[in-house]
Amino acid sequence: MNVTTLKTKAEGQLREQFDAAAGSLPGTGWVGALRARAMDAFAADGLPSRRVEEWKYTDLRERLRDVPAPASATSKPVSAADIDSALGPLAGLDAERIVLVDGVYSAELSKVTAEATVIELMSLAAMLKKAPAWLEGKFASDSGVVVALNTAFMSDGVLLKVRKDQDPGRPVLLVHARAAAQSSAVAVRNVVSLEAGAKLTLIEAHVALDSAASGALANVVTDVTLGDGATCDHIKSLVDAAGSTHLATWNTKLGKDATFRGFQLTASPALARNDINITFDGEGSKLDLSGAFLARGAEHIDTTLVVDHAVPHCESRELFKGVLDGRAHGIFQGKIIVRPDAQKTDGKQMSQALMLSPDAQFSSKPELEIYADDVVCGHGATCTEIDADLLFYCRSRGIPPDIARAMLTESFIGEAVEKIENEAVREALGTLAIGWLRAG
Amino acid sequence: MAAVQETIEQVKSIDVDKYKYGFETEIESEKAPRGLNEDIVRFISEKKGEPAWMLEWRLDAYRRWRALKEPTWAKLHYPKIDFEDLYYYSAPKGTTGPKSLDEVDPQLLETYAKLGIPLKEQEILAGVRKAGEPSPSNAPSEGADGYASMKGKVAIDAVFDSVSVVTTFKKELAKAGVIFCSISEALREHPELVKKYLGTVVPQSDNFYAALNSAVFSDGSFVYVPPGVRCPMELSTYFRINEKDTGQFERTLIIADKGSYVSYLEGCTAPMRDENQLHAAVVELIALDDAEIKYSTVQNWYPGDKDGKGGIFNFVTKRGDCRGKNSKISWTQVETGSAITWKYPSCILRGDNSRGEFYSIAISNGYQQVDSGTKMIHLGRNTTSRIISKGIAAGKSQNTYRGLVSAHRKATGARNFTNCDSLLIGDKCGAHTVPYLEARNSSAQFEHEATTSKISDNMLFYCTQRGLSSEEAIALVVNGFVRDVLQHLPMEFMAETQKLIGISLEGSVG
Repeated sequence: MNVTTLKTKAEGQLREQFDAAAGSLPGTGWVGALRARAMDAFAADGLPSRRVEEWKYTDLRERLRDVPAPASATSKPVSAADIDSALGPLAGLDAERIVLVDGVYSAELSKVTAEATVIELMSLAAMLKKAPAWLEGKFASDSGVVVALNTAFMSDGVLLKVRKDQDPGRPVLLVHARAAAQSSAVAVRNVVSLEAGAKLTLIEAHVALDSAASGALANVVTDVTLGDGATCDHIKSLVDAAGSTHLATWNTKLGKDATFRGFQLTASPALARNDINITFDGEGSKLDLSGAFLARGAEHIDTTLVVDHAVPHCESRELFKGVLDGRAHGIFQGKIIVRPDAQKTDGKQMSQALMLSPDAQFSSKPELEIYADDVVCGHGATCTEIDADLLFYCRSRGIPPDIARAMLTESFIGEAVEKIENEAVREALGTLAIGWLRAG
Repeated sequence: MAAVQETIEQVKSIDVDKYKYGFETEIESEKAPRGLNEDIVRFISEKKGEPAWMLEWRLDAYRRWRALKEPTWAKLHYPKIDFEDLYYYSAPKGTTGPKSLDEVDPQLLETYAKLGIPLKEQEILAGVRKAGEPSPSNAPSEGADGYASMKGKVAIDAVFDSVSVVTTFKKELAKAGVIFCSISEALREHPELVKKYLGTVVPQSDNFYAALNSAVFSDGSFVYVPPGVRCPMELSTYFRINEKDTGQFERTLIIADKGSYVSYLEGCTAPMRDENQLHAAVVELIALDDAEIKYSTVQNWYPGDKDGKGGIFNFVTKRGDCRGKNSKISWTQVETGSAITWKYPSCILRGDNSRGEFYSIAISNGYQQVDSGTKMIHLGRNTTSRIISKGIAAGKSQNTYRGLVSAHRKATGARNFTNCDSLLIGDKCGAHTVPYLEARNSSAQFEHEATTSKISDNMLFYCTQRGLSSEEAIALVVNGFVRDVLQHLPMEFMAETQKLIGISLEGSVG
């Protein structure tokens, strides 16, 4: 094995924290071994630097200077009202609610009314303590250092299953609330599976309570597996004004004739890295992925996407839009792989950035890797400031420049938000995005 | 349409043996011992009669090269190159530098005639030499498939293995003030120009292959166009690798002084051999205020046989520096040869209002691997660039476009348009697109689009329904696909290229 010594302070802290916490992290039997293996995998590579191609624009080794201690049980109780206020427009959503506070499942704050014959819901921590053999297979991860760190440190999360041909009717709102008054690190792992023909709208909302300290580190991995003919709408919203570092990974696998619609709204973390890995595992599946990233100040948002067309006859669409103000740096890396036998693949990808300030930065790397010939694949990438002609048009109609800019920016982002299928969710996220734009 | 017809006929007439330049010339040559060390560098420098500073420059490059690692980021797979098992210098015996045509070994002239580059005929047609003069044996009676039949004159610098054997039209060019000679000659005749510009675009330690080239480059072309001069004819270099186990390392330096214009063409071929051969060139272009350089390449090194055996490993660093305001550099390349291509002709847009262009057709068949593209580095204000790349992959080949467009913080008003399309012929090949866009200035306006698809069944059906065979139909569609780029080639190369496309794709259907 290629063992590099852990050099930076942050890497040393992670190692120490792991050694200190290993005994108290949930899990028995194989779980401990799994965590130790994951830690070794991390130790072999260390934090990714810009020399690692996938992290070219987000040098985590350089940027992650200090790792806060893992979150401990919150002393101050969190009320449902606190959560509601942090959720903002999403609070009013008619949804099943699952709440994790500082990475720990809260039975009191969660409200799930769906029948157990429709949805099966378990706390990951509880299951890790029991450590049934079937669970081990869920962590067969080889998707990089961040996931390895997550596996080593995962404190809790949810195991959610929608049974065959069932539809819960209401969306499931999974709230990741940050409440700790000291800056802390959380590692959450969610494992979601939709059995054949099942339907689910899952909203992951990452929010910070008013009392929460800044400078937190979150590492959240959500694995979603869609059975044959299943349909999943997966929406993630991160509206975090408290200067946190957010590392999120989606690993999504689509069975035959499945449909996956994903959306990510990322606004104002100090540093966010959204890894999205989609694998087509059965023919005839469809993917529609979109997102909006909004950054100002010195914020840094990186969306890295890999769509793997491993089987024929699948369709993928991606649309990502970014608004960058101040000295913010927005990154979009999107790779479409078409494997040798994945004929009749149809893949299209678009990334666009709007730069509001002269010092904003956008880096994009859309990538096509195609080994089959009977395919139609394309990608586009653009970046520019607000179009002077459009601005002039608005102004010539009597709209003041500030409002004209706001209108044009909102409509730019609106194009991505429009992709959300569920109307109530679309409106809530639209409100969040506009709120962010107007706050600037 | 006529040209398309020609392509179709060309494709028809081709036999199983697709590479028509694969012959070898039996000529005695003088080589440096195998391997690479400081003594070899000294040997090459001495052979060339170079000034002391040049030797120091080479040794510096050599030492830097020792410290560099071979790049591995490209999507290329090839056996490790043993740099100690190569000949770094090989020259046809008796040739120490370019001289007049009369002194050139007739066998060499014959080689170039066979390649369709009748050096001799060119001069006769142009009236430099009287037609009755004794001509070397076996020179072709007409330049039907060469450039000679074209209207315009083309001055040619012919490079054979490591040395330049002849440069034509030097006198006519000198009248206009244009210097066109081999780089070894330039080092002797115009050392001040070479010293001023060499390595200012591609520094010695720029990358592994550029460092290697800087240490051992043996020849190449040098062009200097003085202020305000529009070069009266196309300049051209023809590169030929002949000797076994040799690497070819040429270095080209083109300087267009204020307000001047030059168009330069480059062609390459090599014999068919079972082993791989290394070619690592460096090309530096410098355009000062209001100058324009147009650089066209038809790269047709031996691509290897149908099983992927043999072929040239082509690792080339080409970079243009738009140093002056309102300058323009345009790269046009047709890449059909080489087993491995690693090549990224780039533009540094330093001067305000400067412009960079990159037009590329990269065709891969058999087991060829191409990793090519460009870099457009916007540094000055209101700089613009345009990238049109057409990749065609057939057989079991892998064809990658890799490009970078970046705008520096001060590059206000930078503008780029990129279009890369890939066409796949057959289900065993791969086409990849790896573009990087980096905008550090909000007024930068970048647009990138890429598509990958196969030739649509509808188009083929339409053509075959009108009586074309499937190969003719493919040639027609492919020529249409690359039209945008073909239009940017000088006339001489356009017809040639259309034929080449047909030949390269031979055997890719059915």
